[in-house]
Amino acid sequence: MAHEAHHGDAHAHAHWDTSVWPFVISFGILFLALAFSLHFVYHASFAAILTLGLAFPLIIAGVAGWTSEAMGKGEGLSYGAMGWFILAEAMIFISFFVAYWYTKLHVEVWPPAGNVTLPKVLPLVMTFVLVSSSLTIHYAEHLLHVGNKGGFRIWYLLTMILGATFLGMSIYEWSHLIGAGFTISTNAFSTIFFSVTGLHGSHVVVGLAIFMAGLPSVMRGDDIDEGFMRTAGLYWHFVDIIWFFVVSQIYYW
Amino acid sequence: MNLKEWIFTTDHKRVGILYLIGSLAAFAVAGIMALLMRAELSTIGPTITANPTNYNVWLYTHGAVMILGFQIPALTGFFANFCIPLMIGAKDVAFPRVNALSVWLFYVGVILALLTFFIPDPPDIMWTGYPPYSTITTGNTAMYSFTVLILGFASIIGGVNFLTTVAYMRAPGITLNKLNIFVWCTLGAFVLQLIFVPVLGTAVSLISMDKYLGTNFFDPAKGGDVLTYQNLFWFYSHPAVYVIFLPFIGVVFEVLSSHARSAVFNYKMVVYGGIGGIVLLAGEVWVHHLYVSGMADWLRIGQMVTTLMISIPVGLMMISLVGTLYKSSIAFTTPMLYALGVVFLFLIGGLTGIPLAVPSLTLAVSDTYYVVGHFHYVMAVAGTFSIFAGIYHWFPKFSGRMYNEFWGKVGFWLTFIGSNVVFWTMMDIGVDGMPRRYYDYAHFPQFESAHQLMTAGAVVLGLGFAIAVLNWIIGAMKGPPAGDNPWGSPSLEWTTVSPPPHGNWPTPPSVAEDWHPYAYKKG
Repeated sequence: MAHEAHHGDAHAHAHWDTSVWPFVISFGILFLALAFSLHFVYHASFAAILTLGLAFPLIIAGVAGWTSEAMGKGEGLSYGAMGWFILAEAMIFISFFVAYWYTKLHVEVWPPAGNVTLPKVLPLVMTFVLVSSSLTIHYAEHLLHVGNKGGFRIWYLLTMILGATFLGMSIYEWSHLIGAGFTISTNAFSTIFFSVTGLHGSHVVVGLAIFMAGLPSVMRGDDIDEGFMRTAGLYWHFVDIIWFFVVSQIYYW
Repeated sequence: MNLKEWIFTTDHKRVGILYLIGSLAAFAVAGIMALLMRAELSTIGPTITANPTNYNVWLYTHGAVMILGFQIPALTGFFANFCIPLMIGAKDVAFPRVNALSVWLFYVGVILALLTFFIPDPPDIMWTGYPPYSTITTGNTAMYSFTVLILGFASIIGGVNFLTTVAYMRAPGITLNKLNIFVWCTLGAFVLQLIFVPVLGTAVSLISMDKYLGTNFFDPAKGGDVLTYQNLFWFYSHPAVYVIFLPFIGVVFEVLSSHARSAVFNYKMVVYGGIGGIVLLAGEVWVHHLYVSGMADWLRIGQMVTTLMISIPVGLMMISLVGTLYKSSIAFTTPMLYALGVVFLFLIGGLTGIPLAVPSLTLAVSDTYYVVGHFHYVMAVAGTFSIFAGIYHWFPKFSGRMYNEFWGKVGFWLTFIGSNVVFWTMMDIGVDGMPRRYYDYAHFPQFESAHQLMTAGAVVLGLGFAIAVLNWIIGAMKGPPAGDNPWGSPSLEWTTVSPPPHGNWPTPPSVAEDWHPYAYKKG
């Protein structure tokens, strides 16, 4: 990381490492928060759009700058850090599930009025697709480890395609349900359904974004950091495992 | 001094100093809110404002900013950042940029909290944000949600960073049984943060989703349940007291052992019994905040048992603190006075907490000043005293200069007396029936003189804090050079120069076989 070059330097005093990107991202997030208030609380939508116009460029520039600054300088610690991060992520999902169980077991009438029957086959197909993508990324890691770059590229791409397919099916299902009048505001169950599947979907998007960040190097055939692949793979397996809970709790119980 | 190298810094010591500046600014603002409330309560009827909403906004800002803007960032931001890499002999943290991101997100969170004073319809939902009020009020609930989410995210990435740092970046020879107690305490706090902050983040997101995005988590008419929120909220917010308690008691261990020149009594008991016990029990006691909200009796009994059980690991730590002092050579320096103050005040706070674990007693004193007095002893006063002890203790290290010992002691005694006047009186009138959170107490005229006494105490308290902060500012600018190790401590952070350069040591340190952070030379 940033400080590394100066380790052991007798004149370490002379130079303090800096990076502007954390600062830029933070203030992007500030404007994002303000935009939400402007639109939803004060109904000043034009001001909200202007604020978003500040927020998004800052966040995107910050993430891009950070990525290009840090790419290829990993210290091999990100795998351990990802484990801790996943603990925190898992707790978010657990909170939603607990809110669901608590509400469901605590109220007198369940399901609440206005429910529809959820599809039973589509979630199974989605499970199949997502589990396959977990296997393909695992195989890709293996190919990278043994040095088969061509094979690695194919299985890497296949993982991305499977992830995108999953996302497509999710969108298809959402649009059908919303078309049938089952929206996030219908009742407590629809609220849980859309927020949990939406939260999971957003994690799929983040996973795909991580793969996207590595894509140029993969296509060029550069040396890919195995630590990066193991970290990205760990995250992807986590997203996969969470889906089992989503299917079993939301669709089948 | 190059300002750019401060604002965009990724160095853990400078990030720590940024945390310190921000959290002290937050402390000042939240402290002024407390003084405004005390001024309002000094007479029956409107005193300094005729608008009760103003009082609610002060109450909201005082609570939210003291906990999320001052104590947690000062302890897990400043102390963790400044001390942990130095204590484990690392040149920096594992992810310096992530560290910089966490401090700037903290500033963004504080800015959002302070905007409360400038926006129309400020948040007026306390720091707890209970629905249904938070989802129907005209106040800006979104601001509250985003403040908590951003500060929470900052502390999650900070936690990931430090757990990775201590796991992989210790200098050769520093085994797990040779970590400073403070490092162990902070690790425990970060594990708790990683487990529980996401739950708080979810809880506060849900109220804003219900209010602005049309979801039905807490709307009984659509099948929702308001108590879901209280459970999610306290599932974090009770462990949050351990997130504050663990690092602050860690600071007290460092200061006490250093200024008494005595090894921590029964190190392994503290680490495995005390810290381990708290981390294991932290998540099993939250329901005692819901005794009054209503639940099955068997749940109340179970939660009473776990709540009482948590006094065991805390008790082990208190035994160790007192045992450390036994037959030691105590120097009554300013940091030592604050640390001894914590031992004393935390004992009062801890003992007055035991009745609150028992449902039959809690039902009587819940929502009275007794509860307010109790948690101010445990959290506010003991926590803040330990932060002050730590700042004084490491002041020579991070500034390279010495504070003024005389004014340090004056500040200590003023705060010590002031806080006892305020919070002891609170517990007293609480038992007599003074309800908490009231803007006016026309129905309780018998408490007016007690309220006036507390207001006077609060002024003394505020004066003491102000003297301490001024002492640091003047000391950092004009104090005499402190030297590298003014306290004669064997702990690793004192082996480098003061203030430490970028990279901390010219060559990476290593420790001898018989080294221990508490191995003081006799004599």
